[in-house]
Amino acid sequence: MIELNDISKIYRIGDEEIRALDSVSMRVKEGEFVSITGSSGSGKSTMMHIIGCLDTADEGVYLLDGQSIEHYSENELAMIRNQKIGFIFQSFNLIARLTLEENVGLPLVYRGVSASLRRERVGAAMEQVGLANRMKHTPNSISGGQQQRAAIARALVTEPAMILADEPTGNLDSKTGESIMKLFRNLNAAGKTIVLITHDDHIAQQTGRTIRLMDGRIESMGRTGVAAVNGPIAADTGGGGTDGVNNDSAVF
Amino acid sequence: MIVQSFKMAWKSIAANKIRAFLTMLGIIIGVMSLVVLVSLVTSATSSVTSQIESMGSDMLTVSVRDDKGLPLRLADLSDIAQDESISMIAPTTQTMGSVKSGSETTEVSVEGTNASYFQIQGDELASGRLLKSADLENTSYVAVLSNEAAVEIYGTADATGQTMVMNGSKFLVVGVLAEDDSLMASIGNMYSIYIPYTVAERLADSSSGISSFYAAASDPEYTDRAEAAIEAALLSRFKNDEDSFYILNQSVLAETMSSVTNTFALLLGGIAAISLLVGGIGIMNIMLVSVTERTREIGIRKAIGANKRVILLQFLVEALMICLIGCALGIALSGGILLIVNIFTSDTLTFTFSGSVILVAVLFSTFIGVVFGLYPARKAANMHPIDALRYE
Repeated sequence: MIELNDISKIYRIGDEEIRALDSVSMRVKEGEFVSITGSSGSGKSTMMHIIGCLDTADEGVYLLDGQSIEHYSENELAMIRNQKIGFIFQSFNLIARLTLEENVGLPLVYRGVSASLRRERVGAAMEQVGLANRMKHTPNSISGGQQQRAAIARALVTEPAMILADEPTGNLDSKTGESIMKLFRNLNAAGKTIVLITHDDHIAQQTGRTIRLMDGRIESMGRTGVAAVNGPIAADTGGGGTDGVNNDSAVF
Repeated sequence: MIVQSFKMAWKSIAANKIRAFLTMLGIIIGVMSLVVLVSLVTSATSSVTSQIESMGSDMLTVSVRDDKGLPLRLADLSDIAQDESISMIAPTTQTMGSVKSGSETTEVSVEGTNASYFQIQGDELASGRLLKSADLENTSYVAVLSNEAAVEIYGTADATGQTMVMNGSKFLVVGVLAEDDSLMASIGNMYSIYIPYTVAERLADSSSGISSFYAAASDPEYTDRAEAAIEAALLSRFKNDEDSFYILNQSVLAETMSSVTNTFALLLGGIAAISLLVGGIGIMNIMLVSVTERTREIGIRKAIGANKRVILLQFLVEALMICLIGCALGIALSGGILLIVNIFTSDTLTFTFSGSVILVAVLFSTFIGVVFGLYPARKAANMHPIDALRYE
């Protein structure tokens, strides 16, 4: 599904060269629920940009759904994002003056889907996140958790190859965050490939596998111990993922 | 996609109505001044030209400046009138007179002329009769009054048969003209009295000859031929001195008039267009603010698959829509202004929309929307999605 081979991203500030990503290689298989963690400055945002086709790597090869993402123009990248990736952001990023229905339907508008088919698919996506009765609401009239659900519906509506979530629980209280994570696990159980970027180890533990970045390099790439299943998370909080070395990779 | 762009543009305009209206104001005022000014001028022009034409584009006005001691007589006019291109000829001499009626004195303009005068001028009779050639031959002290003069002097337009004392001479009022509501009549608001040319000559106690006369061509197409005939006759009369007389061709007057007013319309339209241009700069300004404010939105749209063209189109259509809504409001307002102006002006002058200026206003507004919308729209389209998403 996702394959990064020796990916590097280099920024130049003055004469200084900063390798935000330094020869990173990794894979995410179809149906996986992967988290990418790391402290700020570790390169996880850059990683997200490259995986999300918001930016291209300076070195290395990135294969998304079998397609090599390089030398694409900005417009071609926009099309790839539209077709293959469903974005979920920390601050929900819904457009305030549009209704939820319009927000969720927007990717389909850019894809050129007809209004009737759009309505049908938006309805299905909203149903999936439990907001079917909130179609005509605007983002400001609903809670943060509901906004994030709407954002998830917007990501689902295009039936993307991968859902890419950037700190999806960062702006939510822990209880709401849990329910969003549960939704992700349910989606994963239904076969969705999900890549979740977070700095929160507790969140990362709830995913199938955690890739830990530090200073632009992959520090560890192991299983956190929990595959997505419906119901409560297996309580392996004891030693798992609390610290740099991933010592619980053998659980699964 | 275009339809979607229009929907999106409409939504963002509707989301910020007051700002959108204030932005439009420049265009509204610009379009309004353009349409109103140009419509006023063109309406006035067409009104004036039609007035001139109603006076007869076949009319020639001749004035003699220097008769070289060979004064022009009535007989000379009859000779000139022999030309087949000329149907009528009327001498005129203008003096002032005071008419006594009871204790009051009315200052009047006295026109000494003949029967043809009324036909050439297109004047109609309300009561009585016009001047006759017998009046000239007999030097009869008779007078035809304009309607206004009759009302002023006698308090009624029905003055036929009355006696009138003017400058100490007694006149019999033989006829009163119909009311003349043409524009020209309202400009020269003198009380006019028409008497036989020979009487006027005698009253003035001069035999200096005819200093001016009107001629009508037998057909409007023959106006130029009539002019040539008169010119030839007068040249031979006045020793080939072409400066000794002057012929005013009414159709030339109409042409000059319309060319002058066209220039005027162009000038006013140009000034209004400048205000429209300023309105366009206002739109660019607000669109730039709007693009900056909506940086994050642009980032979101790009992340979920909007390409440059779509973003460009969205903001361009938004600018265009502001311009065109402003244009429509401006046209509607100028329609209202023209209606109000019509209430306060006389019936002879009706101000109507000039169709071409509306077309110009719409095209110009579109042009301004595209030109001044393009830069902000390009700015939005060229934003990098990551930077745009990060924008706080």
